Amino acid sequence: MTVTTTAPQAALGVLPRSDGSAKYSHAGYTLTASVNGPIEAQRRDEHAYEAHVEVIVRPAAGVGGTRERHLESLLQSSLAQLILVKNFPRSLIQIVLQVEDSPENDYVNTKLVQASLNLAIMPALVQTAILALLSAGVPMRATATATAVAVVHQDGAKKTVVDPSPREVETARSVHVLAFTSHNGLLLAESEGDFTVGEWDDVYETAKGICCRAGPAKEGTAMVLDDEEASATDMRQFLRSTMESKVAADLHWK
Amino acid sequence: MPREAEPSLNEKQFVTQALQENLRLDGRQLDQYRPLEISFGDQYGVADVTLGKTRVLAKATAEVTVPYVDRPLDGIFTIATELSPMTSPAFEVNRPTETEVLLSRLLEKTVRRSGALDTESLCLVAGQKCWSVRVDVHVVSHDGGLTDAACVAVVGALRHFRKPDTSMEAGRLTVYTPAEREPVPLSWLHSPLCVTWSFFGDDGETAVLDATWLEEQVRVASCTVSLNKHGEICQIAKLGGTPVDAVALLQCTSVALVKVKEFSDLLDRRLAEDLKRRDKGGFMAELRAENDR
Repeated sequence: MTVTTTAPQAALGVLPRSDGSAKYSHAGYTLTASVNGPIEAQRRDEHAYEAHVEVIVRPAAGVGGTRERHLESLLQSSLAQLILVKNFPRSLIQIVLQVEDSPENDYVNTKLVQASLNLAIMPALVQTAILALLSAGVPMRATATATAVAVVHQDGAKKTVVDPSPREVETARSVHVLAFTSHNGLLLAESEGDFTVGEWDDVYETAKGICCRAGPAKEGTAMVLDDEEASATDMRQFLRSTMESKVAADLHWK
Repeated sequence: MPREAEPSLNEKQFVTQALQENLRLDGRQLDQYRPLEISFGDQYGVADVTLGKTRVLAKATAEVTVPYVDRPLDGIFTIATELSPMTSPAFEVNRPTETEVLLSRLLEKTVRRSGALDTESLCLVAGQKCWSVRVDVHVVSHDGGLTDAACVAVVGALRHFRKPDTSMEAGRLTVYTPAEREPVPLSWLHSPLCVTWSFFGDDGETAVLDATWLEEQVRVASCTVSLNKHGEICQIAKLGGTPVDAVALLQCTSVALVKVKEFSDLLDRRLAEDLKRRDKGGFMAELRAENDR
């Protein structure tokens, strides 16, 4: 099966019984997230001054193992930065991310238990969690957008691939995941593989172009975008338009 | 973890009284299901079933492993059910609740023990190599009728699933990747499906199909009948609760057969539609490894 690079899609409030939920699909990944909070925390998770952010990543097949725990810890530390945890002392904000569909590599038979880190799923996890948090109305300092970039060496020339397929991840020299807040701050930077500082700078610029574009390009503005950048998805605009359509639908009666 | 809020006494009485007058809160008939919808993912073996507000996702996977010592000629087939906090914050990770145990038990009895999947066909090298087929059931949202929806999802996922093709040459087992050879379907024998009846009233005189979560909390007894579209009953489970008249149960099983036929037809139709969507025709059809019988 080939993964077609299409525009990201999202739906908010898909689960009837959770406080907030979102379904997100992009680059072959489909995830559903639910957010419950602030709810009563268990004694062991209770902090006297702030809310405990609990992230649970559930794989589509098999039970979660070390690599899910690692993804959870990365997400937990990033999201706890964004959520205004000091507003809800002694409570819990629970984020559950269920992977529904992930692209498969046709050239290898997938094993159920994999020890290696799956970085390529990280942007989808971040985006879904953010959308679900927005849907639940959890107060946040800023929103965030994320993307995955791979550096592929092909015929002596190197090129950066945005949203790499599993096949590209396998052959790539290095894979990077970057997340930016809505204030253009770097929230998360995870890299895997061999790369130089120059390469990382390229990756950073590419990712920033996708995650932090300053609003839609209007006619007459002096903004110059080269062709490659203009064709790539604008994650911040996507997040904004998703929320706008949700709010418009919710306030339809007004 | 916070406990689920139980319905109040007034709410309970209201539901029960309405049901005695043959009325349901959502305006359905007593023997009417909520709209059932099945969709399949881009990958093989992913089935997404919605029954009203209940949504269940099932994913089938296969791996080559060593068979059990006592069953060297059989493959391994497992159904894993876990209710995540996504369903309700009352469910904890790695701490099975009663709902979860009952659900996995019923699915096990319905699908695995009824021999729906021919486990002998999963054997590759006797006593050494076999396929281990695993179905993961994810309950995304729970609004009653979990068993029925989960069963449709499991059966749908397994029938949609394709395992990698294999070949044996001079004692060497080769497992082909999807790029080399088109994956092959499992050897599926029959499709058992569950129909759950809920009983209300002091003596369980009112029988209701497809109870919602609120109705499930109020009911006095429930009975799950699993059968296939040929009317072969795989199991009947009535776990405790108020005793129910035997004649009423017989009536229930005959209605269940009608419902199972409906679901089977829907499942067949959706699978055929999905096959049509995937069918690229021409050269890909030629490359297919399986034979048409």
